[in-house]
Amino acid sequence: MEAIKFEKVHFSYEADDETENVFGGEVAFALNGIDLTVEEGEFVAILGHNGSGKSTLARLTNGLLTPSAGKITALGLDASDEKNLFAIRKQVGIVFQNPDNQMVASIVEDDIAFGPENVGIPREEIGERITFALNAVGMSDFRHATPSRLSGGQKQRIAIAGVLALKPRVMILDESTAMLDPRGRKEVMDVVLRLNREEKITVILITHFPEEAMLADRAIVMSRGEIVMQGKPEEVLRREQELQKYALALPRSVRVCRALTAGGLPVADALTAEAVAENIRQALGDTAADFEKTEKTDHLPTDKEETQEKISDKSEIGRVECENLTYVYNPASPFATYALNGVDMEICSGEFFGIIGHTGSGKSTFVQHLNALLRVPSSEKKYKPKKVKKGQTPTPAVTLKVNGFDLTDKKTDFKELRSKVGMVFQYPEYQLFAETVFDDVAFGLKNFKEDVTDTEVESAVSEALTMVGLSPSEMKKRSPFDLSGGQKRRVAIAGVIVTKPQILVLDEPAAGLDPLGKEEIMQLLHKIHREWCKTVIVVSHDMDEIAENCTRAAIFSEGKILGVGEPKTLFAETEKIENVGLDLPLTAKISAYLARKGVSIDSDLTLADFIQKTLNFSKTRGAGMRSTAKGGKNDA
Amino acid sequence: MRDVSFGQYYPANSFVHKCDPRLKIVFLIVYIVAVFLAKNFYALGACAALFLLIAAVSGVPFKSLLRSVKAVLFLLLFTAVLNLFFYQGGETLWQWKFIRIAKEAVYATVFLAVRLFLLVLGSSLLTLTTTPVSLTDGIESLLSPLKLIRVPVHEIALIMSIALRFIPILTDETSRIMNAQKARGADFETGSLAKRIKAIIPILIPLLTGAFRRADELGDAMDARCYSGSKVRTKYKKLTFGWRDFIAFLLCASLLTGIILLRIYTAPLI
Repeated sequence: MEAIKFEKVHFSYEADDETENVFGGEVAFALNGIDLTVEEGEFVAILGHNGSGKSTLARLTNGLLTPSAGKITALGLDASDEKNLFAIRKQVGIVFQNPDNQMVASIVEDDIAFGPENVGIPREEIGERITFALNAVGMSDFRHATPSRLSGGQKQRIAIAGVLALKPRVMILDESTAMLDPRGRKEVMDVVLRLNREEKITVILITHFPEEAMLADRAIVMSRGEIVMQGKPEEVLRREQELQKYALALPRSVRVCRALTAGGLPVADALTAEAVAENIRQALGDTAADFEKTEKTDHLPTDKEETQEKISDKSEIGRVECENLTYVYNPASPFATYALNGVDMEICSGEFFGIIGHTGSGKSTFVQHLNALLRVPSSEKKYKPKKVKKGQTPTPAVTLKVNGFDLTDKKTDFKELRSKVGMVFQYPEYQLFAETVFDDVAFGLKNFKEDVTDTEVESAVSEALTMVGLSPSEMKKRSPFDLSGGQKRRVAIAGVIVTKPQILVLDEPAAGLDPLGKEEIMQLLHKIHREWCKTVIVVSHDMDEIAENCTRAAIFSEGKILGVGEPKTLFAETEKIENVGLDLPLTAKISAYLARKGVSIDSDLTLADFIQKTLNFSKTRGAGMRSTAKGGKNDA
Repeated sequence: MRDVSFGQYYPANSFVHKCDPRLKIVFLIVYIVAVFLAKNFYALGACAALFLLIAAVSGVPFKSLLRSVKAVLFLLLFTAVLNLFFYQGGETLWQWKFIRIAKEAVYATVFLAVRLFLLVLGSSLLTLTTTPVSLTDGIESLLSPLKLIRVPVHEIALIMSIALRFIPILTDETSRIMNAQKARGADFETGSLAKRIKAIIPILIPLLTGAFRRADELGDAMDARCYSGSKVRTKYKKLTFGWRDFIAFLLCASLLTGIILLRIYTAPLI
């Protein structure tokens, strides 16, 4: 049976002024004659760039928006008939993007009860439904918990449970994983898969991530309000040129296979790390185990190596030195927690440094120390050194030097420090406030230099906007609130780099963006790193991002540092990383798998280098084959 | 960790914590009335004794209780001092020029101070032993007769509940925005009043736009979960009146009777 049917559906928000044309800060994008049928029990993934109309589609399905033309049928009911509205909403649930903005109550069970209460389910049955819904998302232990204490993935699972309690037959997830870290994303996707397989709930998953779309029965690509591609995910996601046309990226794993094939090693497309590794192994031939050494051949210098040279710079500028850094939240209370517990770290001038860790691992607390948003106790005005009592070991002295400033000293000019150490917070676009882009970017500059002249401001703002890839003449007079999501983020970054800081710290700079947007932001950071800032420090959940971009990285766990080093050495300790529940970069996973099969590819874990080294390996292997053909070969 | 200090609630599992919030609210009202009706130290002593009993049962440390008094300490002292000097008549204890302290004034001042103390302590004991959520439930339930005169009690309760839900989210957001603007050199601590008010704009605007964005999304999410505020709506959580509440009810009733009796049969303070 058909669960959802769209027949020539058009939607434009001008047609109906009453319709809310703005949701979640994004404009509802027009649809242009959508024909779509989703069968009951099916799992459909909808991909598309920002503004392709995929969220509009979700909201039309259960009557949050009404089409301007065409017919929508949900489970046999006509969605344009107001009388059917609640019958449809009961059976077609939506889970939205931001888990925080979907909950009405401060206790998990009360929130899940909200839906059933609305439709008048008797009290006793609500209790049963809560139990059922919490079981289904694996959150039974959190029935009486407070949402604000849960992780993003947990909150989103509660939001799913809230929808499940209405016993829907169709569930739409509108970019529900976009704001989550990889662990949360996996939690949510596991739940969604189980609901589809076991509870036979029809799932429509709207997502940016090709990896998630792979799990579906069918993938649909939308662009400019139309369905442009459709089919089995593994087929759709291989059509590289088409995907590029619609501003979508290939899954990283497919890109590896493609690049190797293009380089002369035909590797069949595969999607999981293991499958890719297996295909590579097959392409290399079964006897690969005999040849472990790769020949050092010429290869193109990558971005990383260029910066590697910069690191030899031993100056204080752009340098971070930290010893014994400890930070306690709510000290001397029963809730005292160590956010940082004796952190030692050295970030050299010129590095592109990565900081990895889960929420609550202490990474945010650490970066907030770098520009004195959090202070070392001894730098506070009221600080008096404590006398050490007999029998107590004195607390070790804290060292924290950033860009030549001593942050343990109360005489340090902290304002000057902040102008030299820029800090971009998560979702920086939510901090824009001024009437024009110009004023917003100029804000920091005017704060730091009170005697700055108008012409100086003018040129600095223009430079900063050009740096982030925006045209100053076009942007300056516009309101920051009228810009697209990507532009807003660039403006926000411009507002920080306008003072030309020597160290730039960014907390999850690519969070919430689609894969292409992520890449663009990372390229922008490299440009800033090359031309303006000595040192760039990036906090990230995304291991591929770290492996691809950073010279070195540190892993935080429970207020301590678990490991520091180049991605290559850092990610070689597979077990340690998996033990704290972190993921590995794709290249590391493939390398590890290949290593177990006796093929060692010694790359620096960037995609380019990994492919280069694999190709080199295959060439030497070819040569090796000929040499072993003469001497007897010993197969393992 | 921020939400730990949100509200005053002191997590424990005592008799008082488990009582029906409606009863606690009514009890507080009765207690306040009793404290006001008390006209001598006997009656006040009875109230104080009752308060100490409940405080002891609740297991809330005395420190937490005193912290709530600290906030109003200045007000308390201020009223007491005024009362001390402006009391008319009575036996003069001490005089300097036109400033005079009467013996009765000292009594009255001490009496007033103790009374205010008991009021503040009593109210904070309620918020210390009741979560904001069950307090909202209690208020909703107590207000429900007002539905008859078309007061939108359910909507009011839902608004309170959503407010409670978003307080920790918005406080977090505020501190994040403040930090972000501080990192851009904003200064909220120094400068003239005008300058400081101006410095709030870069916090307020993102906070407001953020709140509207959230409200928009929340509205959609509520719609999608079939919210209509209609009459078919049921309620999952029902407050139940247990044996604990019965005991507390008896206590409450006897307090009121006791105070009334004391008021009738004992002499006033002065």
